[in-house]
Amino acid sequence: MMDFRQRILTTLNHEEPDRVPVMGLIAEPATSDRILGKPPADVVSMLRNPELKGEIRDIMNSTWSDILYGNFSDALEAAIKLGFDANWTIYTLMQVVEDPEFQLGLALHDIWGRVWEMRTDADGNIVVNYIRGLCPTEEDWHAWVERNRPRFDELIKNAADHHTKLADNYSDRILPIGYTSTGIFESSWQSMGFVNFIKFVYQKPDFVRKVIDFQTDLYMKYLDAIMKSEVDVVLGGDDLGQKTGPMMRPDLIEKLYGDSYRRISELVHKQNKKLIWHSCGNIYALLDKFVEWGFDGIITMEPTAGMELGKVREQVGHKLVLIGNLDVSYLLVRGTQQEVEDAVKKAIRDAAKGGGYILSASHSHSRVDPTRLEWMIEAAHKYGKYPISV
Amino acid sequence: MANGILEQLKNGLLELDRDSTVEAANSIIRGDISVSVKEAVDAVSDALQIVGKRFQDGDWFLAELVYSGEIAKEVMNLLSPLLEAGATESAGTVAVGTVAGDLHDLGKNIFINYAKSAGFNMIDLGIDVPTQKFIDAVREHKPLALGMSCLLTSTDPEIGKVIEELGRQNLRDKVKVIIGGAALTEQFAQAAGADAFAPDAVTGTDIIKQWSVA
Ligand code: B12
Repeated sequence: MMDFRQRILTTLNHEEPDRVPVMGLIAEPATSDRILGKPPADVVSMLRNPELKGEIRDIMNSTWSDILYGNFSDALEAAIKLGFDANWTIYTLMQVVEDPEFQLGLALHDIWGRVWEMRTDADGNIVVNYIRGLCPTEEDWHAWVERNRPRFDELIKNAADHHTKLADNYSDRILPIGYTSTGIFESSWQSMGFVNFIKFVYQKPDFVRKVIDFQTDLYMKYLDAIMKSEVDVVLGGDDLGQKTGPMMRPDLIEKLYGDSYRRISELVHKQNKKLIWHSCGNIYALLDKFVEWGFDGIITMEPTAGMELGKVREQVGHKLVLIGNLDVSYLLVRGTQQEVEDAVKKAIRDAAKGGGYILSASHSHSRVDPTRLEWMIEAAHKYGKYPISV
Repeated sequence: MANGILEQLKNGLLELDRDSTVEAANSIIRGDISVSVKEAVDAVSDALQIVGKRFQDGDWFLAELVYSGEIAKEVMNLLSPLLEAGATESAGTVAVGTVAGDLHDLGKNIFINYAKSAGFNMIDLGIDVPTQKFIDAVREHKPLALGMSCLLTSTDPEIGKVIEELGRQNLRDKVKVIIGGAALTEQFAQAAGADAFAPDAVTGTDIIKQWSVA
C-alpha cells in the first residue's frame, strides 16, 4: 500500500497508484468547525459590540497571520480526520479598516486592492465576501500600488512562513498543497471592477499592460514563497470561465495573460514541482491553452457549468491531470449516499484509468456537508482500487 | 449619406469601435445629417440583436458582450434626451436583484444593461436583496417582470420564498418572474414556481420582450 504522498505523486505522473487519491478543499471555518466539533468563534458579533469593536479590530490586525494559520491548521486537521490524502492551504493579507459603507462599520481590505464584507452564517461562523475594488480609475490604481509597497513584501514573507509552517507540522499526515487563491486575471479585474477593467482593455491597453505586468511579478514572488514549503506540488488559478464559456475570447486571454502563465509554469518546473490550475466555469475552449502554457493539471471542472470529466479526458488525454468535478450545488450538500456513491463511481470510470485523476469536490463553500464528504471518501476507497474495475 | 451614418453607428458597435460609434451619434445629434434620433436608436437596437446572437452562438464572449453593452449605454445616453416624447415607448418596467445572501452581481448587471438597451425601464435592486425589498419593488413600480439572480446553492431557497411571498400578498398574478444565474436550471425554475429561467442575459431579454408584446 502507498502512503498519501506516493499516491498523489504517482497520480500526478499519470501512473496508476494503489487507489484513486482524494483531495479536500476544506478552507471555510464553518466546515472545519463542524468536522472537528468546535464551537464557532463569533467574531462578527464581537465586532458589532461598540465596547469591543476597537480592541477586536486591533487584535485581528496584529495577529492576522496567526488567525489564518489557525484556520488552515483546523482545515488540515479536519481533512485528516475525514481521511483526505491532500488539502489545499491558502495565505492572504488583509486588514480590518473603518468602512461606513457596511452596517458593521468595518470591512477587510486586501493586498490586491479588494474590499471584503464580514458577516456571520446561521451558526455564527465568520464568512467574508469580495464586494468591490478600491481602484476604479487609473490614478487610484497607481496610488494604491505606491501606498502599499511595503505590504507586498509582507505578503511574500508571511506566505512563505505560513506554508512552510503548515508543511512542517502536517506533511507526515497529509499533503498540504499551497494555493495562491488570487490569480493574475482576478487581481487585475477585481481591484477595479469587471466592467471598468473590460473598458480599460479596449480603451487603455497600455495601462492594462502595466497592471498585468505588475500583478505577474507579484504573483511570481507569491508563488515562489509558497514553494518554500518544499511540497512537490502547488496550486495556482484564475477564474477564467463562467457558466457558458470563457470570460474573454481565448485569443484575448492569450494576448493579455499567455506570457504570464508560461512564466509561472517555468518557475514551478525549474524547482521540479508540479503546477495544478484552478478555474471555475465552462473552460473547454481553454483546455488546449492550459496544455500549451505548461500546466500539469487542472482542478475544479465545475459540473454546473457543463464540465464533464469524460469529455475533458477525451479532449486532453493524459496531457493534464484532472482533479475534482463532484458537484457542490446539490450532491455534496444534500445528495443521498447512493447518489454520492454513483457520482464517485462515474468519476473514476470517466477519468481514473492510467492514473492522472484525483477525486475531489469541484469547489468549497460553507454549505458543503461533512457527512457527504465522508461518503465520497468511503466510496473512493471502495471503488477506487487499481486496476480500476467499476 | 443618411444610410452611411446609420451604418457607422451599427458597425461601430459591432466592431467594438467606441470612438466611431460615439462620433456617429454626435453627428446625428448635431443634425449634420438628416437622420432622426428614432432611426439612430433603432440602429443601436439592431446592432444589439446581432451582438446577442453572436454571444448565444458562442462567437462572442462575455468581455465583448459587456463592452458592446457599455458603448450602447454611452450612445443611448446621448440620444435618449433628444427622443421626442412618445417616439419610442418603454417596452416595460423590470425590477431585478440578486437574492439575499448572494453578492454576485456581474450577471445581474449585464442583464440590466442589455435589457435597458433593448428599451426596458430597468430597476436595479442591488445584491443581497431581502424578500421584502423584492415585494416592495413590485408594489411600488408595478413592473411587467421581476428578475432574480442567484449563483449559489446556499441561497437558491430565497427564490421560492420571494415567489411564495408574492402569492401571500396577492401579487403573484400581477408580475412575471424570471430567474438566472449559475446555481439555477430550467427544472429549478419550474419547481420554484418561476415563469422562466434564462441561461444568459440575451435569452432573458428575448423572454421579457415576448412578455412585453403579449
Ligand atoms: C466571478 C465569481 C465570483 C466573484 C463574484 C464577483 C462579483 N462581483 O459578482 C467572487 C470571487 C467574489 C465570488 C465569490 C464566491 N463564489 Co463565485 N463565482 C464566480 C464565477 C467564476 C463567475 C460568475 C460570474 O460573474 N459570471 C459572469 C456572469 C456574467 O455570468 P452569470 O452570473 O452566470 O450571469 C449570466 C447568466 O447566468 C444570466 N443571469 C444571471 N443572473 C440573471 C438574472 C436574470 C433575471 C436573468 C434574466 C439572467 C441572469 O445572465 C448573465 C449574462 O449572460 C462562478 C462560476 C460560474 N459557473 O458562474 C463562481 C460561482 C458562482 N461561485 C461559487 C462560490 C462557491 C462562491 C463563494 C461561496 C466562494 C467562497 N467559498 O467564498 C463566494 C460567495 C460570495 C457570495 N456570498 O455571494 C460557486 C457556486 C457553487 C454553488 N453551486 O453554490 C460557483 C458556481 C463556482 C463553482 N466552481 O462552483 N465568485
